[in-house]
Amino acid sequence: MLSDQRAMLTKYAYIQTKRLKVLHHFFDERTEYPRDPRFTSAIYDMENTKIFSLLEDENIRFHEEIYISHNHIHLVKTLDEFYLGTKYLIIEVKDDGIWRGEIWKNIIGYGLIFFLFFMIFGLYLAKLFLKPMRDSILLLDRFIKDTTHELNTPLSAILANIEMMDTDVMVEKNKTKLSRINIAAKTVSVLYKDLTYLTLDQEKKNHDEVIEIKELIYDRAEYFSSLAQSKHLECNLDLEESTITIDRRKFTRVIDNLISNAIKYNKRHGTVGIELKQGMLVIWDTGIGLNEENIPFMFDRYMRFNNAEGGFGVGLSIVKKIVDEYHISIEAESKEGEGTRMVLRW
Amino acid sequence: MVKQLVLAALLVSGLFSQDAYERHCVECHNELPTSLQSMFKRYLLVYGGEKNVKAGLKHYLKYPLREISVMSDLFIDNYGIKKKTTLSDKQIDKALDIYWEKFKVIDKLK
Repeated sequence: MLSDQRAMLTKYAYIQTKRLKVLHHFFDERTEYPRDPRFTSAIYDMENTKIFSLLEDENIRFHEEIYISHNHIHLVKTLDEFYLGTKYLIIEVKDDGIWRGEIWKNIIGYGLIFFLFFMIFGLYLAKLFLKPMRDSILLLDRFIKDTTHELNTPLSAILANIEMMDTDVMVEKNKTKLSRINIAAKTVSVLYKDLTYLTLDQEKKNHDEVIEIKELIYDRAEYFSSLAQSKHLECNLDLEESTITIDRRKFTRVIDNLISNAIKYNKRHGTVGIELKQGMLVIWDTGIGLNEENIPFMFDRYMRFNNAEGGFGVGLSIVKKIVDEYHISIEAESKEGEGTRMVLRW
Repeated sequence: MVKQLVLAALLVSGLFSQDAYERHCVECHNELPTSLQSMFKRYLLVYGGEKNVKAGLKHYLKYPLREISVMSDLFIDNYGIKKKTTLSDKQIDKALDIYWEKFKVIDKLK
């Protein structure tokens, strides 16, 4: 290193100063300038006039203590007593560059050691801090996985039996009750489908097909009609013919979740609108809307901004996952108290 | 008579053949035990470069003081401080130039 070179050159300067002192004393009986095989040197007076020099590079930088030029390291030593009139003693040694290699070796070596140390330490800390969060997510995932298995049979039985019931012979009071059961069962069914998709179905292979979206929307709107009626919502459908190539199961999840959210988070006597054009689907509502700050987080899993309605907060994360998979863009516009507008483009 | 004239002529020519340094410095310093070269080295040790040495010397010649002398106390105790010079600046400069050239280190080291 250069500090080692500096120490060595300072030692040489000290030796040479002693020799200059002797020469000064015996001048001019002796006029031979002291030489040393380990270094070359030069002496300059205070007016920077050369007194004697053996240097290879004579462009002296008098104001620098140590410098490298033309592959030589130079030390400029200022003398307190001007032996032979010398104010500046310059010591020059050849720069073999080994010290530079040593520096790089040390920088890379120690740098790597520190980097690895902090990396391992950082990973350990991150793991330590994230452990409670990871544990709770794993617990929730495991719980959902376990419970969904048990939900299917009773739910199918409820829905099938509601469909089979003869409502013509029913009194009005019972009809209302049955409708409520139907709505509740459908809500649970959507939730069940989301959870099954999340835990089991998403790993299944895609069966992409050309889907007539208009038909699918009519079908799903029909499915959710009882839910919408319970809130006295007005349905505003503006559907043009449009197709998309996608796995039907997945696209149904997208439509179901968007319609179900539009109904769930709507006000009573509000409106749910569905607009379909070629390459664009808009589902909007006149519901409670979202705070602008929350919009970027609305697609996060388990993220819920309203606890008044049931759910796990997985619906929109499923939607996002599916639309991303099929390179469909999704845009959310929402205003608190006015409603939300979800726009899909493909 | 002729003999006397020749002797006088020789004396005058000898006197004028000397340079300013020899005329104004060497004569007196010959009586001192310390050589002019040793004194030069003392000035060099204290003042360093050419301009500085000459300026230091000139000042001392014009305003000699024990405090600013480069000589040792022992030397001054024995021989005292020189008298103030009567030479003009021009004469001093000329003598100092010769003095410097005679004893300077530059170009003498091998």
